Formats: sequence, structure tokens, C-alpha cells
Amino acid sequence: MSQSSPTGSFDVASLVEDVNLRRVGQYALVVFFLGFFLVPLETGIMTAIKTNESVARSLPFAPPASEGFTLGNIQFALEQLSGSFFNSLVMSIPATIGSVLFGSMAAYGLTMVNWRAQMGVLMLFVVGVFVPYQAVLVPLARFWNNIFPLARMIEPMVASIPFFQGYHADLVPLVITHIAYGIPICTILFRSYYQSLPNSLVEAGKIDGASITKIYRRIILPISKPMFGVVFIYQFTQIYNEFLFAFTLVTGSDAPAAPVTLVLPAIGASTSGIDFGIRMSAAFLAAVPTLILYVAFAEQFAKGLRTEA
Amino acid sequence: MARLTLDDVTKVYTDDGGGDIVAVEEISLDIDDGEFLVLVGPSGCGKSTTLRMMAGLETVTEGELRLEDRVLNDVSAQNRDIAMVFQSYALYPHKSVRGNMSFGLEESTDLPDDEIRQRVEETTDMLGISDLLDRNPGQLSGGQQQRVALGRAIVRDPEVFLMDEPLSNLDAKLRAEMRTELQRLQEELGVTTIYVTHDQTEAMTMGDRVAVLDDGELQQVGTPLDCYHRPNNLFVAGFIGEPSMNFFDGSLSGDIFRGDGFDYPLSDATRDQIGDASDLTLGIRPEDIEVGERRSGDRTFDAEVVVVEPQGNENTVHLRFAEGGEGARFTATTTGRSRVESGDRTTVSFPEDAIHLFDGETGNALKNRELPSNRAIGAYISD
Amino acid sequence: MGQIQLTDLMKRFGDTVAVDDLSLDIADEEFLVLVGPSGCGKSTTLRMLAGLETPTSGDIYIGGDHMNYRVPQNRDIAMVFQDYALYPHMTVRQNIRFGLEEEEGYTSAERDERAVEVAETLGISDLLDRKPDELSGGQQQRVALGRAIVRDPEVFLMDEPLSNLDAKLRAEMRTELQNLQDQLAVTTVYVTHNQTEAMTMADRIAVMDDGELQQVASPFECYHEPNNLFVAEFIGEPMINLVRGTRSETTFVGEHFSYPLDEDVMESVGDRDDLVLGVRPEDIVVADTDPDDAAIGDHELRMDVTVVEPHGDQNVLHLSHPDQPSDDDALQAVTGGMHLVTRGDRVTVRIPPDTIHVFDAETGTAVHNRRHDQEADLTELEQ
Repeated sequence: MSQSSPTGSFDVASLVEDVNLRRVGQYALVVFFLGFFLVPLETGIMTAIKTNESVARSLPFAPPASEGFTLGNIQFALEQLSGSFFNSLVMSIPATIGSVLFGSMAAYGLTMVNWRAQMGVLMLFVVGVFVPYQAVLVPLARFWNNIFPLARMIEPMVASIPFFQGYHADLVPLVITHIAYGIPICTILFRSYYQSLPNSLVEAGKIDGASITKIYRRIILPISKPMFGVVFIYQFTQIYNEFLFAFTLVTGSDAPAAPVTLVLPAIGASTSGIDFGIRMSAAFLAAVPTLILYVAFAEQFAKGLRTEA
Repeated sequence: MARLTLDDVTKVYTDDGGGDIVAVEEISLDIDDGEFLVLVGPSGCGKSTTLRMMAGLETVTEGELRLEDRVLNDVSAQNRDIAMVFQSYALYPHKSVRGNMSFGLEESTDLPDDEIRQRVEETTDMLGISDLLDRNPGQLSGGQQQRVALGRAIVRDPEVFLMDEPLSNLDAKLRAEMRTELQRLQEELGVTTIYVTHDQTEAMTMGDRVAVLDDGELQQVGTPLDCYHRPNNLFVAGFIGEPSMNFFDGSLSGDIFRGDGFDYPLSDATRDQIGDASDLTLGIRPEDIEVGERRSGDRTFDAEVVVVEPQGNENTVHLRFAEGGEGARFTATTTGRSRVESGDRTTVSFPEDAIHLFDGETGNALKNRELPSNRAIGAYISD
Repeated sequence: MGQIQLTDLMKRFGDTVAVDDLSLDIADEEFLVLVGPSGCGKSTTLRMLAGLETPTSGDIYIGGDHMNYRVPQNRDIAMVFQDYALYPHMTVRQNIRFGLEEEEGYTSAERDERAVEVAETLGISDLLDRKPDELSGGQQQRVALGRAIVRDPEVFLMDEPLSNLDAKLRAEMRTELQNLQDQLAVTTVYVTHNQTEAMTMADRIAVMDDGELQQVASPFECYHEPNNLFVAEFIGEPMINLVRGTRSETTFVGEHFSYPLDEDVMESVGDRDDLVLGVRPEDIVVADTDPDDAAIGDHELRMDVTVVEPHGDQNVLHLSHPDQPSDDDALQAVTGGMHLVTRGDRVTVRIPPDTIHVFDAETGTAVHNRRHDQEADLTELEQ
């Protein structure tokens, strides 16, 4: 064992031992997949800002030449979509808030409060997650149209609210359906978070003299803020993008209450063919609300994922 | 007035397979108004379950729990007028110190806001945490969180304090400090306190009385020195005291106790106390063993030093009888300035007035050590 | 060979200096304990030794080889973590074996054999096929040790390995660890905040505070000959009594009493004026007083007992000066377990002149340590 001087004994071998062919290969793979996923996106954006002729003549992912550039597509798509944007938000926001809030309450009741038959109820929630959309479409349509025509009943009431039209009443059954369908998955998500919280928090609350609902409102609800961020984003994306229920309950892209997902497939299609520029513009516009949401809640979202892990 | 009574209290859990697990078995305790009672035992002995039943966080399977004359069995935790300090402190992470402390008053009383504010401030003054009022628990050190948890209990001015190992998350120095501080606070406030711990030092130093539990059953209730000098059985003798009492299994032949590696003659007086038990366990506390003082005698034996643990003020010396097997190890304490090293040969004497004898089968104490007729000792040991 | 050399080791995290200019030589087969309050840099030092942190400057040598830039797996060390860090999905056998899996020069059968061998050393052979969550805390602790031992490294690094165990088990594991280290004769660096562990286990103790090394010495020296106020306060439980005051001629004058210093002490004190007088609680002699007896010796004071903490083998008394009862913890004294004093008693307290420590109040350095007659104490135990 040689005792070398401190500066001379720089252990070069251990510094470079990890830099080898395998690592080079790993990085190459990463670059390849980056391209693989990003090129379609880039192609979409390029197509959205090209004129029809330019789309036909240039390569899909090439940027538009000066005379091929246009913002007309986006403008047209926006005009077409503006009504349905409003419809979509009117539907998604209350549905998301409802399902998240009820889900959190149910999770609290199923995790932090002890009562009999708890397991049985929990199983129902788990099963609820797995009920396929398709299986309930027909009963759903019959229920809201024939058995309990809620939309028709409240139409005059809705019409009297400022900014709303009578046809917006058609969205109410959709909202209720989404809340019901969203509760199970929200409950399961919140449950895993509540299970990680120390039980002594609820016990301390009890000993402090607070009732079960008080403990939820004043202790658990404020603590679960980060989790709300995660579940809210997830649930909003689900509901905003949902097509089947909307198609069943609102019927068709020409209905005045149609949300974005119904209108989108119809835009840019005409007898003379498909206008790719308009389609792409509409698609990007439709994605904007979810993007805004992600950016706005990014911090909460990351925090929530961290606390859950 | 708050006198808490447990009458044959039993707790039975049902496990996943449908079987019954008895966590607490027929515990009867009478806790006086203003008393500081420590429930102590190894983990799983049922001490926390007992405390949680008092708190109303667990139901009582059988028996009765009374506060004065009021039966508490079916009263919910919210309505018991008790305060509890948790091991994990259970501070509300999103509330400031002030919010944490006022929450209980807001929920359990109709006090106006400014009165609540005033009481919270009085309590924080008492605990020396007034400057932390607007911080959140995440910004506090362990000792400070501990104080806030205490403050949350004190501010409510309850009939009973329940404390579940409140000091176990603190480091050694801080724990010793908080021990005396808690004692002083309790005396000042005069509130009946039940304190759960697995640490016998806390039990000895803090309790007016100590209740030792093992395996769901009450082993002994008495003053700390009662449990130390006059244990009911082997379990209490071994659990109370640090380092633990030495035990030697053996049998009686005539007037001589024969253990592994040593023969110990018993005087007639001792012999009379044992009755006709023949399988015995001899016990002696490490500090009662005289190391290297006498050179010969009936109750003096040759021994070899195995390990020395210096503590500064005293040394814990692990020894082995020269003639005993590998298992015949025991410990003695010597003063801190004597330098003993492993491998040394020495003699050890067991004075007869310091030995305990236990029934080898049941573990019950047959003879406890003699105590000097000291006025003070009498005051500390209840009859 | 497992000797360790740290020279001018420094670690910065941003602006905070965690470890400041630390130099330390650890001999082969030595058991060194790094001790200090939380945040003193002891864990950072250990993690630098392990290769989990890179030093900002300074050098680490193990067995004469420079280690600064070497990855942990090439350092021939094994580490035991505070939370054990057992792999939950593997059996005990697989956990222990795992440490060998990356090691070359073993056949699969040899690895199995070695794992069984280690399990035997630790007395956990019957647990080999269990998973970690089926084990008690003490057993998990042993498996964690096994995983370190199996690799037969040059150096063991232990980061508070006993802090998750309860008091009884901790005392047991302390002796066991010591025995094991003796048996395996591997250089061990052990980090703890618990001064009892440091005192009882170490060959030498390195006391750290605020990133700086305060003293490296045997437990005996750290206790009886502390370098400075910090070491004197940190080592020893209950804590050393410290009284601030000034020197007037050859007398130490504190707020409530004065204490004549003898020639020997004066020689080391010189012309320093601001002093701190220190005395260990067990060195204070407490006698019951007759209140009418006015005679008080040079080194005696009258005090009131405010708190009595019985430990069984000893009692810790908290004392206050009669003219300032609000400071109820002015001095602490330890008396024998059979000598009982009651709260409220007035007692005579004697501080023997040969037991005092004197510190410089400004710098905190020790100017005079207690006298002790080592030879006399040593012979007492030898035959």
C-alpha cells in the first residue's frame, strides 16, 4: 500500500469507470425516443398553420413556406368551437368538483372512521371503477330521456340564468352522470392518500371534542390540498375528453349543447374533402384548457405525487 | 375532582381468522384525584390499549370505567373531558401553534374568541413557547413540538390527562429535562394524569404510583420504590431497574441454594420465609453485589470480569463465576473511578439482606430484600 | 488493514459548514464512537467515510488508500443504518446473502454457507426463512448486522443502529455489539447522539459539536478530564453542575455562594477572573441537616430539595438555594438508593475540593479538572 500525497492520488479510474459503451447506448436510445414522440406533435403544429395547397405540396413536418403560412385555419376553428367550449366547461367544471369532493368525503369515511360493513361498501366502490362505459349507455339514455327527463323539467329555469340558454339544461344529466361515474376512482385515489396519514390526527381531533364532520372539514380537508391537485387534474382531463356519454346524452355534433369532443370530428369535413389545416387547428385549440390546467396546478400536482409516493 | 376507576376492564379483539385476542384482562385500578400514575410494560403488554379505552378511542369489551360516579363506557371521546398527548404529537400540520391549541377549545366549549386567545397565551407563557405562536408545526424542533402537544392538552383544563409515550421521540438529554418539567407541570396543575411508557426510568422517576403490566395483566401497583424493592414477582423484579436484577435459577438442598457455579447458604430466618418451594430463583440487584471487597466468606465467590461498561459515575461490570458455565453471567455496578478491565479476576459477595427469592415455577416473590429502618424509605413505600 | 485517517476534512452544504477541519486517526480494530447533538456533523462525517457524500476539501484514507473519489462499493466497508434498510421482499437468508452477491471469488454454495455461518454467530439461525416484517425490532437489528458482517469488510460504519429499540433491548444489544466487535476485530466507527452508548461501548470517543471536534479520548478521560464546557456538559447523565462566577483572591464567588479554591486549583487558574465551577452530581455529598445547627464548613452550603427522582439504585435530587427558591434546579445531586430525602427537606450539601472542575468562562476551556487517585482505585479490585 503506497501512501501517495493527497493531490497526486486522484483516483481517475473510479471517475471514468462508469463512462462506457453501455451508457453511450442508453443516451442514444433516449434521443431516438424523444424524436419519435416529438415529430408527430411538430407535424401537427406545422399543418395547423399551413394553407391547404401548402399541406398538399410540402412534407408533413416541414415548416410552411412564406406564401403557405396562414392563421386563417385557427381563426375559423375558433369560431366553430367557441360555443362548444362554453358547453364543455359548463359540463366539466361542476362535474369535476363534484366527483372530487364526494370522492374525498367517501374516502375519509372509508379510511379514517370505523364502522361496520365498511369493507363491503369499499368493495362496491372498487367494482364501480370497473363498470365499462358501453354497458351502461342504453340504460343511461332511457333513464334520462324516458324515466326521469330532468333536462326537460329544468329547461325554463336554466334559461333564466344570465349567459345560459335553455338548451344548456341538456348538460345537467351529463354532469350528474359524470359525478356518479367519477366518484369510485376518486375515492380509491384519496383512500391511498388518507391511509398514509397518521391515524392519531383524527384521534387528536376526537379528543379535542370535534365531531366526525368537523374533523373532515377543519383538519382532513385542508391537509389533503396537494392530493386535490392531482385528482382534480386527472378527473378534469377525463371528463373534458369524454365522448361516449356526451354522444349518448346530447346526441350529435349539431345539437346546440354539444361539447368540444362532439364537435371536433365534424370540423373541417365537407363534401369536397377534409381540410387538414382546420382539423389540426381545432384539435390544438381543444387541448388548450387541459394544458392551462396542468400549468396552473403544476406545483400542486408534483407535491401531490410526492406525498403519495 | 376527578377520580378514575377501572373495574375488571377487559379488551378482546377479534383477529382476521375470527379468533379472540385478549389485549387487556380484568384490570382494576383506582386512580386518585391529582395522582400521577404511570402504566409501564414491554411493547404489546396492553398499556396503550388501556389508555385508549380511557380516552374513548377503543371500546371496553367488559368491565366498567368510571370518572367519579359517571360510567364512561358508552360516552364518546368527544364528551369525556379528557385531553391526550400522543407519541407522534399528532399536531395539525396545516395550523399554526395558536390554531393547534385553540382548536380543542373552539370545538368543546362555547368560550368567546378573546377568552380562547387569552387562555392560549397563558398556556404558551407557562410552557415558554410564546414566541412560536404563529409558526407551523413543520418549523418546530422535536422539543418544541412536544411542548405544543402538551399545551394543547393543558389549555383545555380537562379532568384527566392521558399521555402515550410523549417523550419517546426526544433525544436523551431533552428527555431527562422534559421528565422533570412534566412532573412539575402536573404538580402545579394538579390534574389526574395517566402516563404510558415502556421506559422504566420514566416510570420510576415520574410516577406517584407505577402500574406494571405484562401480557394484558396487571402485575403490581405501587410506589416506584415499592416496585423496585418489593416486587410481586419475577417479571416486575426484572423489568424495573436498570441494569436489570440478576437472576440465578437453582434448587434448595437443605439450607443451601445451589445455583450454576455457586452455593449460597440461607439463614434460618430466610429459610422460614420460603416455605416448601424447592425450585427457586435467586435475585440480586447489580448495585448490591460487593465487588472485590471481602476476600473470603460463605457468601463470597470467585469471579472473572467479562465486559466493562464505563458510565462515568459508575461502571457496569459483566462477570462470570469462576466455577460456573458460560451461562452463569451476571452484572454488578461499581463506582465510576474504579478501573476494572475485562479478564480481571476478583471476588463478589452477595449480602443476605439484599437477596430476593422467587418461586421457580410461578415466579412469585417468596422473600424480598430487607430494608433499613430509615424514616424516609417508609414514606416512599406504601403498606 | 482497517486504519482510518481523516485529514482536514471539510464539508459544506451551500453556506453552512457541516464538518469543519476535522482530523482524526482511527487505529486498526478500534471501536470509535462519534457522538454529539443532532446537527453536529457526526452523520455527515460517517457518510463521507462511506462514500455517500463527497468532502468539500480534505482527505480520507482507509488502510492507507486515498478514498475521496472512490465509490462506496469499492471502499471495502459495510454500513448499518438506523432504520436497518432490510429488503422487505427477501427472506433473512437472502438479505444476508445479498451483500455477497456482488463480491467475486465465491461460489453459490459458499455464499449460502457463509450466510448460515453469520446467522449462527448472531443467534438467528432459526429465522433464516422469515421475511423482515415477521421479525421483532431486535431481530431485524441482528439481520442488519448480519448483512454487514457477511462481507467481512475492513471497516464497519454504524449510524445510530440502536436508536429504534426499546430501553431494555438497547442495553442488551449494546453489550452484544461490543462482544461481536471484539470477536470480529474489525475497525468500527459508530455514530450516536446518546452519551451512554458512547461511554459504554467505545475504545475512544470523538465528541463533536457544530461541525468541530471537541475531544478525542477514552470514555474515562472524557468524563473525568473534559477539554471544555461542551464535553463536560454533554458527557454524563445526570449532567454536570455548572455555576458561573468570578474569582476574588483565592475564592470563587457565585451568585449564591462562595467557594474557597485550594492551592492546587489556584495554580492552574492563575489570574483568570471569570470562571465556571463544575461538579458532577455523584460527587456532591448530601447530609440531612438539623435546622438549628448554624455551623457550616468551608465547602458546604444549605439547600432545599425541590424534586426527588428515585431510580431505585440511586436518587437524583434537584436542589435550590433558600434565598432564591424560584430557581428550583440550581444544583443536582445523586445519593445512594437507600438514602432517601423528601421534597421540601433542607439539607447540607458538601462539594469536596478534590472533585471540582474549573473552566474559563470566556473560552469554555477547562483550566482545572478533578483529581483522582487512579492507582488506589485500581488495586481495590485486584487480588
